[in-house]
Amino acid sequence: MKAWLVAIAVLVVVHDFSHANVAPAFGVAPAFGVAQAFGVAQAFGVAQGLGPAVPVFTKDVAPLLVDRCATCHHPGGSAPFSLLTYADAKRHASQIAVVTTNRFMPPWKADPADGPFVGQHPLSAGEIGMLRQWADAGAPEGDALRQAQGRRAPASPVWTDGWQLGKPDLVITLPQAYTLPAEGTDAFRIFVLPIPVATARFVRGLEFRPGNPKVVHHANIRIDTTPASRRLDEADPAPGYDGLIPRSATYPDGHFLGWTPGQVAPLLPNDLSWRLEKHTDLVVELHMQPSGKPEQVSPSIGLYFGDTAPTRTPVMLRLGRQNIDIPAGDANYTITDSYTVPVDVEVEAVQPHAHYRAHDVRGEATLPDGSKKALIDIADWDFRWQHVYRFVTPMRLPKGTTLSMRYTYDNSAANARNPQQPPARARWGQLSAEEMGDLWIQVVPRDGRDLDLLSRDFRPKVAAEDVRGYESEIEKHPGDTGLHNDVALLYLELGRADHAVAHFQTSVALKPQSAVAHYNLGTALTVGRRLDEAAGEYREALRIDPAYANAHNNLGNVLLAQQRFDDAIREFREVVRLQPESAAAKKNLAAAIAAAEKKPHD
Amino acid sequence: MYHRSVIFLPLLAILVQALSGAPVDALQAPAGAKAIVFLFTSTECPISNRYAPEVHRIAKSFASKGVVFRLVYPSPSEDAAAIREHMAAFSYAGSADAVRDPKSALVKFVGATVTPEAAIFANGRIVYRGRIDDRFVDLGRERPAPTERDLFDALTAVVAGTPVPHATTQAVGCFISDLVR
Repeated sequence: MKAWLVAIAVLVVVHDFSHANVAPAFGVAPAFGVAQAFGVAQAFGVAQGLGPAVPVFTKDVAPLLVDRCATCHHPGGSAPFSLLTYADAKRHASQIAVVTTNRFMPPWKADPADGPFVGQHPLSAGEIGMLRQWADAGAPEGDALRQAQGRRAPASPVWTDGWQLGKPDLVITLPQAYTLPAEGTDAFRIFVLPIPVATARFVRGLEFRPGNPKVVHHANIRIDTTPASRRLDEADPAPGYDGLIPRSATYPDGHFLGWTPGQVAPLLPNDLSWRLEKHTDLVVELHMQPSGKPEQVSPSIGLYFGDTAPTRTPVMLRLGRQNIDIPAGDANYTITDSYTVPVDVEVEAVQPHAHYRAHDVRGEATLPDGSKKALIDIADWDFRWQHVYRFVTPMRLPKGTTLSMRYTYDNSAANARNPQQPPARARWGQLSAEEMGDLWIQVVPRDGRDLDLLSRDFRPKVAAEDVRGYESEIEKHPGDTGLHNDVALLYLELGRADHAVAHFQTSVALKPQSAVAHYNLGTALTVGRRLDEAAGEYREALRIDPAYANAHNNLGNVLLAQQRFDDAIREFREVVRLQPESAAAKKNLAAAIAAAEKKPHD
Repeated sequence: MYHRSVIFLPLLAILVQALSGAPVDALQAPAGAKAIVFLFTSTECPISNRYAPEVHRIAKSFASKGVVFRLVYPSPSEDAAAIREHMAAFSYAGSADAVRDPKSALVKFVGATVTPEAAIFANGRIVYRGRIDDRFVDLGRERPAPTERDLFDALTAVVAGTPVPHATTQAVGCFISDLVR
């Protein structure tokens, strides 16, 4: 952090000399410990009698472009064009002046006072003014010395052309490129890629390469250990699918995955890696901006493995609301949420998420002593730049600290990004025309005990919020059995079996011939201690699918609870017959037989 | 400013280059044409390129009404081969023809500052100059869909013989001053 502050100071000082065009500068410049080259450049300008000094590419502009822009704006980088050579920069001089003045570039939305975060390189007002002067002066190149050096920017490169984290241990690519249509403002497509590992591995890093930086704008990445995502992808004959990432696709063990241009998550230390199981799928949602002609899109993902199991595991906290309901035209709709941590934690990173109507995004921590620390402040939220903000030094927060968020939305016509014109009521939902408001906070507890405490304390909060989201989705799609089933499972987790039963009953009504639907309903009824009804549902499931081993098993358990031992044993025998290799089935049968022998009235 | 001078000097020719390299008068319309739409563009400007499907749509809507579309490439470094390649990539054949304006003769005549920027030449003068629509509010700020289709509305007025609603609008895109450096 300090290093770049010094660098800025030096640049500004040198730049000021060029303006004043004063001779004593030559004597002073080396005293700052700057490369001698700055002094030499100055000498050339004066010797050639260029008159009143204006900023020039070689001396003033190039060092800035290399330091702040070239990470993305280099040949093969993630930006749509390079800014490395004079010829490149000159062709964008006015554009550079405009987009730095309006703070569109460099794309850093957080208040510069927050953090410090990894990769935070804001331009100072003086630097932006200099770029404007340079463009207005006709984008002069500067001295001949630099031209002789091949017109390359003088400072050493801060990027590499290939993988930023080095050669990956495993590279995953799309088997077939996706063709992005010519037209549209924002396009989304979800790709599901099996991760071919023969054994479980410990992942220290994931690097995403967009493949076609002209159109790929950001990537939302999750992993799915269930076949849910894969099935959605397989149902669409073209590469990937349109729609939503299923809830079974998650961040692994509390780690962020994802990519925005210019950001590469650093490799994790071995003790903080995450465990990748066999048969896991990578779920990659690409946000793309069509270019005006059909484009081939073929991103690749590199994985980096460590040798040892992690000893620390982060927890991904999520503040936010899923009952968002913004009236049409409301320019100042606010949501708030908070959570008090029951253990000491270190905040590693934060990532705000919202769609097009959010404009003011804030997160902060209030310590037990009442003092406050900013987590993130974004005064002009832009959906297109959803960075993960990683603290250079993790923020230590004691037990009892309250994490809070406050997001404000503009659903009026004055918000140019509003996806609905004229504005319409906007409710919570994952589609980009709907609205969201989450603040993800990655924290690392001190040890395994605290991890467990925190996870168990936090889980009901997030499950309750997810329930609100599902209920809102179900209002929109009342016939979607998947939604009813998912929310029913959440209700079971929250100990509200009655609500779970109601949703599974709806699923049964929608799909009366589904053995699974009856089985699920039976399970919820069992949890709700409505055993006779539960047995009825299991029997219905078995009437439809007599070989449904889990239904036999659960029916056996109900019968056991009703002390109908012979009937229970019959069911467990059937499970063993259907699953002769299952140790659990044999164990259940043995337990039932043992219970029958001990029955009190015999 | 310039289009006023046209009223006084109606015979003024604005010399640009055909892709063959031959000098041509940009204002010379094919027989029967009611209006020429100049569309200032560049092979590299992403904003111009993203408008290609909309340009095709507008060109198609007015093709039978005596409106011709002419792409204007002001960058001296974009040669005929690069332009032909660009037109093929974005399927401009059939929608528009193209001229080079390496000396910015037409840029100055129209007062164009960015790509994409449109100008309509009809009845011996420029009757509209500005954006295609209001999708781009600023560099980095974009509407999901336009709320004003200025070029379309101006052409509708020209074809109907009624006044153009807004004779000039502010276009957002890549600066021509950068392209001609």
